[in-house]
Amino acid sequence: MGKISTLLDEVAEADIKNVEVNYRGIFQKTLARKICKTLVYAAKEEERTGFSYGRYSDAPERNGVPCKYFAVVAEMSEEDLEAEAGAKIEPNDVNVSIVVDDTMVKGVEPWGFSGIRPINEKVKLGGTLLVVSERSPLELLKNVAKKDFPYKIAVVPGKHSFSGLWVYKDDFTDARVLGALARIEPDIVGLEALRKVVPEKLGAEKIDALNDGYKSVIIKSIAPGEGIDWPYSIPTLPKWHEFKEGIVVKSVARGGRNEDYKRFTTRTMRPVIRFDTCIKCDLCWYACPDECFDPTPDGLFDVNYNYCVGCGRCAEVCPVPNTIVMVDELKFENNDSPYHEYKKDKEAYIEWADQKMGEKRVNYPFVTGTGLIEENVKKNDGEKG
Amino acid sequence: MAEEIVFEKIKGIHKVPREEFYSSGHRTCEGCESAMVMRMFSKASGPRTIALGTTGCMYVANTAYMTTPWVIPWMHTQLGAGGSAALGTSAGLRALMKKGKIPEEKINTIAFCGDLGGADMGLSAISSALQTDYDLLIILYDNESAANTDIQATGMTTWGAQTTFTPTGKVKRIMQTRWKKNVAGMLAAGHPNVKYIATAIASFPPIDLLNKVRKALSAGGPAFIHTLDPCPKGWDYHPRYSDKLGELAARSGIFPLYEIDHGTAKLTYNPPKPRVPVKEYLEKQGRFAHLKDEDFQYIQQRVDSMWEDWEIPGIIPVRNGTIRSEK
Ligand SMILES: Cc1ncc(C[n+]2csc(CCOP(=O)(O)OP(=O)(O)O)c2C)c(N)n1
Ligand code: SF4
Ligand code: SF4
Ligand code: SF4
Ligand SMILES: [Mg+2]
Repeated sequence: MGKISTLLDEVAEADIKNVEVNYRGIFQKTLARKICKTLVYAAKEEERTGFSYGRYSDAPERNGVPCKYFAVVAEMSEEDLEAEAGAKIEPNDVNVSIVVDDTMVKGVEPWGFSGIRPINEKVKLGGTLLVVSERSPLELLKNVAKKDFPYKIAVVPGKHSFSGLWVYKDDFTDARVLGALARIEPDIVGLEALRKVVPEKLGAEKIDALNDGYKSVIIKSIAPGEGIDWPYSIPTLPKWHEFKEGIVVKSVARGGRNEDYKRFTTRTMRPVIRFDTCIKCDLCWYACPDECFDPTPDGLFDVNYNYCVGCGRCAEVCPVPNTIVMVDELKFENNDSPYHEYKKDKEAYIEWADQKMGEKRVNYPFVTGTGLIEENVKKNDGEKG
Repeated sequence: MAEEIVFEKIKGIHKVPREEFYSSGHRTCEGCESAMVMRMFSKASGPRTIALGTTGCMYVANTAYMTTPWVIPWMHTQLGAGGSAALGTSAGLRALMKKGKIPEEKINTIAFCGDLGGADMGLSAISSALQTDYDLLIILYDNESAANTDIQATGMTTWGAQTTFTPTGKVKRIMQTRWKKNVAGMLAAGHPNVKYIATAIASFPPIDLLNKVRKALSAGGPAFIHTLDPCPKGWDYHPRYSDKLGELAARSGIFPLYEIDHGTAKLTYNPPKPRVPVKEYLEKQGRFAHLKDEDFQYIQQRVDSMWEDWEIPGIIPVRNGTIRSEK
């Protein structure tokens, strides 16, 4: 007994490095897995042990829902590392938390009973939140919860890379993130080791991307107390005796919605609606699989952003060009009713909506992993948002 | 017997009931069409409905972790038990009404099951439910895989598709070599007691599914509807295109839309000729990214044969006294 506990203490003191990847379910599953696996191969190159794993409670993964993948490396035997870090749903804290879609900095609600959690929740003292983004660390910080100890926010410049289950969008984001990681925490994975394994595991053509990630990462120190007060409460799990007999779950009252799962952290884009050009055809309301549209007394449709997952079906079916356009979620501060704003001041709302929609429109190919095409807006010619 | 009510036909999208009985806040994928089947059948059936669902996406996504989007009462049943749950519930309601324990009224019993739970595992239970005279509707929501366990092939998966059971490889390109079953046709042919059978796609033609559900519920006996549900996760397409894929499935003729109302079969949608080539439907899905021209041609030829050689096109594979599945 004495011998075992001493052993365990030694193990606990040993330096275990944890990395997590926050990713969008399915769209970025392959990307997250490639980052974590390659990291472990590189650690093995440096004669350390490691393994990678997905968060069990995320399965079955749903498109868009925030998920996590992990890599753990240490200088110890595989058995010891397995005992120390193996049988866990997720690590208690991480040295680096990678975020491959920057809209997740607004909070992540996995589909388990977890609530909306801060993206930097697991980052430990002196650790780093590494985000793939076209924004600066300070811009991202406007959405991130404050911590009572110093840590860093790093940005590897880029746009979120989305794929599907079968077709992977190989735009080298994996290698760029690994390069950035080597710069931030060379103790977890060194650039030399990555240079050795990346050609074999990810492809020889990715060496430049690896170096580029290393060079281009921007790192900013965040002081204790910097960031926002987290607005969402974390639900407490019911005790075993609080369950109703037969596992009865309370239904939604007529006219209501499921108050216990507002799923907006699933979305990367949100639909912005120009109520003034709407022809009241009902199609957006009919097409929404998440029942987000509320008919208004004047025949328009308000959208409840608390439940919108950003699938884009409403924008796709809307017959009037530029009336529903999908817009980057980070451009918005709240989930307030857009119809309410419109009724308050029509002109101000239209100007606001136009400014949010901007001059660019995205063309979406059918197979997600084949990429996006951005174009300048063409007014009134049938372009879709 | 409970009083028979005839549901009004919905004549246009503006007339679709506004109230939701399957509300916001479910754990489905962005753009999920099976969620749309839930939304539409409950709109059509209204508040006096008991829904039953087998294990699968539409169970796990809609009741896990002590929360639910359901407004109407809903109960989970085992993976292959959609038919038994429908039968037991409907029989129970009839008995309670007969004994005067609950008032006589029309209460809709609707059980839904996935393609694995219904068309593969649960076929026998559905068969026995359809042999009775109970008032019940079974909806087979078919996303062409065991989706909830991360996309495994079933007997309903389109020929050639990649799933986690049927990945493409260097030696064998095609692993899903089974041809999709025609479940609605098979059930209609073998169950003389069934009052109404149909196939449908939730978003195309618009309102079609709602009216088929209403017909089924007023048919006065067991009824069955098979829906084809584009699944952005398993089929690998951008979630915004679920409507488009449903439409292409109908226009290409790969999924014939029909109903068999008290024994009379009728195509409810006749794909305009020339039909859209099936390739236009298939190439928009990443699960078919590995197919070659010869594969598309093979699928096209079988679809053409279904439309041109069958005695009742798209429904019953009989020609000159031979039951055929292929040219
Ligand atoms: C008897 C039994 N076997 C296996 C399972 C595991 N399981 C849960 S959901 C599922 C897939 C169901 O597929 P389908 O009926 O097509 O529904 P979908 O998930 O596609 O909506 C499986 C195999 C189970 N729950 N019960
Ligand atoms: S993007 Fe449109 S269709 Fe999709 S969930 Fe949001 S409101 Fe509904
Ligand atoms: S689809 Fe477009 S035009 Fe039709 S009701 Fe919705 S916003 Fe208005
Ligand atoms: S896997 Fe398919 S059926 Fe299941 S929730 Fe996702 S889209 Fe819907
Ligand atoms: Mg299925």
